[in-house]
Amino acid sequence: MEVISVVQLDQTKAKDECLNLSLRPLQVSDVDDFMVWASDEKVTRFCTWEPYTNKEDGLNYIKNTVVPHPWFRAICVDDRPVGAISVSANSGNDKCRGELGYVLASKYWGKGIVTRAVKMVVDTIFVEWPHLERLEALVDVENVGSQRVLEKAGFQREGVLRKYFILKGRSRDMVMFSLLSTDYHS
Amino acid sequence: MEVDLSKITLRPFKLEDADDFLLFAGDDQVTNYLRWQTLSSKQEALDHIKDVCIPHPWRRSICIDNCSIGFISIFPFSGEEDRFKANIGFGVAVKYWGHGIATKAVKMAVPQFFVDFPDVVRLEAFIDAQNLGSQRVVEKTGFQKEGMLRKYAYMKGKLRDMFIYSFLSTDLPANP
Repeated sequence: MEVISVVQLDQTKAKDECLNLSLRPLQVSDVDDFMVWASDEKVTRFCTWEPYTNKEDGLNYIKNTVVPHPWFRAICVDDRPVGAISVSANSGNDKCRGELGYVLASKYWGKGIVTRAVKMVVDTIFVEWPHLERLEALVDVENVGSQRVLEKAGFQREGVLRKYFILKGRSRDMVMFSLLSTDYHS
Repeated sequence: MEVDLSKITLRPFKLEDADDFLLFAGDDQVTNYLRWQTLSSKQEALDHIKDVCIPHPWRRSICIDNCSIGFISIFPFSGEEDRFKANIGFGVAVKYWGHGIATKAVKMAVPQFFVDFPDVVRLEAFIDAQNLGSQRVVEKTGFQKEGMLRKYAYMKGKLRDMFIYSFLSTDLPANP
């Protein structure tokens, strides 16, 4: 009995790793897929925004925020968006720095998808943005799953910033992670 | 030189401080780790006092016998989301280094700032990894070192590692 369940576990893991993952721009035509994760309060727990309740707001978000964004991609399984990943840009003396963010539909949690998506971003962002020296991410101290993603993707944990952020009215401690272009190239 | 720390006071800047201001703001050793360009004339000092120091939300001259020998700036962030945070910077004329003046000034400034800006919860300091003097000042005044932010920003054309420190309103000693 034990042997069978171990084999089944391995097959599930292998199947997850075989998931056909890709990154591409998120478009207005993707709004229904967007609403699947954007309306889920499990997903938005550590997001600054409340779950979306109507498609019109979703369309406006895609048109006004996603389309003009410096670097925003849908995370796709078999070409269907199941989440999103983005890198923000800064200007002037802060141009060396970009902030990574990501979100994934809860049905797809636990399969290593975001870790793979982060690695795909890391493989391309330092090439697309040669001025980028530092990719950073801020994660709520209670969001252990997201901290693990960044650790597995090779980010370095730099410290806990106390009451760094106000999330839905409460001040939160955040963990700062970074990956330098020199970390990536070594 | 003996310095009586009880003679250190903080007050807003005045145009009359221009000559004294130039003594430290015109010195590369003082401005090395600041975003300011080193000033090079009394006119620039007057302009800086008029255009930056006086309208500033919270900038104070560090004074000995009412004579300006340095500055402390605390800048609350703007925007709805960030008003609860502020950033501190300071500098003292080189002639007065090594006497604990900046430490005394920061110790005086922090509680007063939290009174003046009751919405601020987190006061942070970004200090260059090589700026040992300023690191000691904030450590002695009760800031907590949270970590080193590698290659965080450009300062005067060079990419810098910075330590991030914080002092929370809840870190203040409770009122008796």
